[in-house]
Amino acid sequence: MDLSAARDALVQESRELIAAMEAALLEMESEGPSLERVNAVFRTAHTIKGSAGLFALDLIVSFTHVMENVLDRVRNDSLPLTPDMLSTLLRSGDYLSRLIDAVEAGLENEDPDPAHRESLLASLNQMLGNEPEAKEAASTSLQTTEAPVERDDNSAKVSNKNWHLSLRFGPDVLRMGMDPMSFIHYLGRLGRIVYLYTITDHIPSASEFDPESCYLGFEIDLLADVDKQTLENVFEFVRDDAKVRILPPRARVADYIAMIDAQPESRQRLGDILVAGGTLTQHELEEVLALQAGSAEAGQGTPRLGELLIQEQMVQAPVVAAALSKQRQGEERRNHEQRVIKVEASKLDSLINLVGELVIASAGARLLADRSKNAVLSEALGEVGGLVEQIRDRALNLRMIPIGEVFQRFPRVVRDVSQELGKKIDLIITGADTELDKSMVEKLSDPLLHIVRNAIDHGIDSMDEREAAGKPSTGQVRLNAYHESGCIVIEIGDDGRGLDTARIRAKAIERGMIAPDAALTDAEIHQLIFAPGFSTAAEVTNLSGRGVGMDVVKRSLEQLRGEIEITSQKGVGTTFRIRLPLTLAIIDGFQVSVADSVFVIPLDMVVECADMTASAGAQRIINLRGDPLPYLRLREIFDLPAAPAGMRESLVVVEYGHHRAGLVVDRLLGEFQAVIKPLGQLFRGVKGLGGSTILGDGSVALILDVPTLVAVSNERNEHTGSGNRLLSN
Amino acid sequence: MSKTILIVDDSFSLRQTLAIALRGAGYTVEEAVDGKDALSKLDGRKYNLIISDVNMPNMDGISFVKAAKGLPTYKFTPIIMLTTEGDEKKKQEGRDAGVRAWVVKPFQPPALLDAVAKLVMP
Repeated sequence: MDLSAARDALVQESRELIAAMEAALLEMESEGPSLERVNAVFRTAHTIKGSAGLFALDLIVSFTHVMENVLDRVRNDSLPLTPDMLSTLLRSGDYLSRLIDAVEAGLENEDPDPAHRESLLASLNQMLGNEPEAKEAASTSLQTTEAPVERDDNSAKVSNKNWHLSLRFGPDVLRMGMDPMSFIHYLGRLGRIVYLYTITDHIPSASEFDPESCYLGFEIDLLADVDKQTLENVFEFVRDDAKVRILPPRARVADYIAMIDAQPESRQRLGDILVAGGTLTQHELEEVLALQAGSAEAGQGTPRLGELLIQEQMVQAPVVAAALSKQRQGEERRNHEQRVIKVEASKLDSLINLVGELVIASAGARLLADRSKNAVLSEALGEVGGLVEQIRDRALNLRMIPIGEVFQRFPRVVRDVSQELGKKIDLIITGADTELDKSMVEKLSDPLLHIVRNAIDHGIDSMDEREAAGKPSTGQVRLNAYHESGCIVIEIGDDGRGLDTARIRAKAIERGMIAPDAALTDAEIHQLIFAPGFSTAAEVTNLSGRGVGMDVVKRSLEQLRGEIEITSQKGVGTTFRIRLPLTLAIIDGFQVSVADSVFVIPLDMVVECADMTASAGAQRIINLRGDPLPYLRLREIFDLPAAPAGMRESLVVVEYGHHRAGLVVDRLLGEFQAVIKPLGQLFRGVKGLGGSTILGDGSVALILDVPTLVAVSNERNEHTGSGNRLLSN
Repeated sequence: MSKTILIVDDSFSLRQTLAIALRGAGYTVEEAVDGKDALSKLDGRKYNLIISDVNMPNMDGISFVKAAKGLPTYKFTPIIMLTTEGDEKKKQEGRDAGVRAWVVKPFQPPALLDAVAKLVMP
C-alpha cells in the first residue's frame, strides 16, 4: 500500500462523509435541528479537515476549518441554526465535493471555483462575525485569533518530517501543579519545536476569566526522531487533565503502513494491529475503547473503532485503512483455512494417480523385501506400507465432497413437481454432510432426481386418498445419507401408498417377465420395477412416464458399482436404499489367474468360490448344489492358451443385480486392493474388461467387467439354443 | 537561579541518592524526613517542586499534600509522589488530593530526573 492508495482512500472516505453531511443537513431542513445531527455534521467537517491535513490539501483544510468553526458555535448554542445557514452549508458540501474531485484528478492545489469559494467563505465568516453577546468583551481577542487560527491550521498540517502534537489543556492543570510550559520545554529535549501555535479560543471574556484555570491549547510541530510512545509519555502526568493528540510525520505514515503490512497474519483486532504497528499507543487504545463503550451505553450505538480513531485524530485514515485491510487479509485467510481451499480437479486427480502408483510401488517393494528374506528390510517396508495406506486414504478423502451438493437441488424440484401435481409435500433432508467421491456426486444427480420424482408422482398418494387413509394431507419425502462399512447409503423415502405387489406381479406376468406361477418374495417383486420398460402407473404422467424407467436408474447406479434395494409397505410408504462404494479410484479386488494372465474381479461381486467339477459341456450350465448356474471360461473369452490336461480348475460365482454366473479360472490368488487404471486405447473395445491395475511385482492385471460378462454368458446360452435364460436368484 | 526541590522521605539513603542525582542535574535540593517536617519547611520558602513519599511516620504523604495544597504559596506547586506498585487505594487518595505525577518505587534516578524535567524547567 503506498500513499497514492491512501489518497484514494481519502477521496473515497471524504465522499462518504460529504454524503453523510448532506443527509444530516437535509434532515435538519425537513425535521428541524437536533444536537445529534449538528454533531454529525461537525464531525464530518472535522474528519475531512483532519484527513486532508495529512496530505497538505490546504484548500480543503482551510475551508473545512471555517465550516467547523461555524458548526462548533451552533453546537455550543452560541449561534442559531438558520435556514440560510443550512443552505450555505449544503452549498459548502457541494463545493467540498468539487475539491475532492480535483484531488482525485490530481489537481489538489487548484481551486475549481475561486469565486464560489470566496462567496461561501464570506457567508460563513459573516455568521461567525455576527455571533451575539460575549463578543463585545472578547471582540478584540477574537479578531486577532480568527486569522491566526486559520494560519495555524494551514501550517498545522503534518509535514513530511514533523510530528504534529495537538494539546488541549484542561482547566485544572495549573491547580494540579502542572505547567503547560514545562511540558513544551521538555519536548524541546526530544527534538526541535519547528512550529508552535497557541490556541486561545477558549479564553472566556474577562468577567468569566479564572486566573487559576488553564484555557490554553497548543498546536506543535516537532522535528524529532522518536516513537509515538515516547511522545505520549511526555504527557503522562497530564493524561487526566488534557487532551493530547499526536500525529506522526507524513513520512511515518508510510512506515506505519509498511509495519502493519509486515505483521504476521493472525486473528487480531484492529486496535491490536495498530498498537503493534506503533501507530497507536496502548493508552490511546484504552481511551478510545472507553469512548466507544461510553457511546454504546449512551444508546447512540457502537461506533466503529476505526472511525473513532480517525475522528479523535489518534490515527490517520490511511493507517486505519491499512490496518483494516490487514485485518481483512487475516480474516480471509483464516476463513479460507477453516473452510475450503479450491484446488483444480486435475491437480487432485494427478495426486491420486501418483498415490496409486505409490501404493503399487510400495506393494512391489514389500514383495521384493519378503523374497529377500531380509527381516529388517521387510519390517521397514512394512512401516512404509502402513504410511502409504494412510496417505492413500487421505488422498482419496480429498476428493470427497458432501452429498449435500446434490441434495440442495431437491427442495426446488420437490416444490415444482408437487405444485404441478397438486400435492402438498414436505422434503426432509438429513445427512447432507455425508461425503462421497466428487465424480460420483456428479453421476448421482440424475438417478436421484428420477427416484424423487417417482416418489412424488407414484409414491405419494393424492390428498384425498391420504385423508381417507387417515394420513396428514401433506406428504413427506425424505432424503437421507450415511456411511456404513465403507459404503455410502442414500435413502429416498416417502410416506405414500407403498408398492402394490399384486399389480407389479400382474404387470410382470402380462409382459412375460415372469412365469404366471413364479414364486416370488415381495422383495423380488419390488426388484421387478427396475426391469426395462416396466411402468405400473395406470396413467403415464408427464413426469415419470418419459420412457426413462427405473431400469436406467438402476443401470447408472450399477455403473458406479452401487446397488439399490427397496423396502415398501402398502399404505405406509416406500424407501429406496442406494448403496455405493465411497470411491471409484480404488477397489477391493479378488485376484484370479488363467494361464499366465492375472485378472481382478471386484470383490463385492464375488459370491463364492468353488471347485469346478463339471467337465465342459455345450450348455455351459453347472449344477451348483442343485441349482443350475451358467458359467463362462475366461480362457475361451480371452483366447488364452489351453490348460494342461487334468489341471484343476476353480469356479468363481459372481453376482450382478439379481443374476449370477460362474467364471472358470485356473487359480484363485486372493484379495487385493486394486488401484483402477483406465484401459489403454488398444483394449477399449474388448468386451468383458473394465480396467486394469498394476500388481505388486509390476505386472499388469485386468479388471473384469462383470456385468458385461454376465450379459455375454446370457447371450451365449440363448445362442446355443439351450433356451435357458440367466436365472433369477 | 536554579530551581529548588524539596524531597520528603523517611529514608536517609533515598533522600541522599535523590539529592545527589538532582543536584547533579542542576537543581537545588532540600530534604525533610516526614510530612510534619516538610510542612514546617514550607513556611516562608518557595519550592518549585516537591517529591514526597507516601508512607512516613508522624504525617504521611497524602496528609502532607493536602495540607500543602491548602497553602496559597503551594497551590500550584507540582508534586511527585513516590508510590509502590499496585497501591491503587493510596494512588486514588493522592489523585483526589491533587497529585498527578507518580513515580513507582523502585526506580532508577534517571527515571525520576525525567519526571522532574517534565514538571519544572531547569
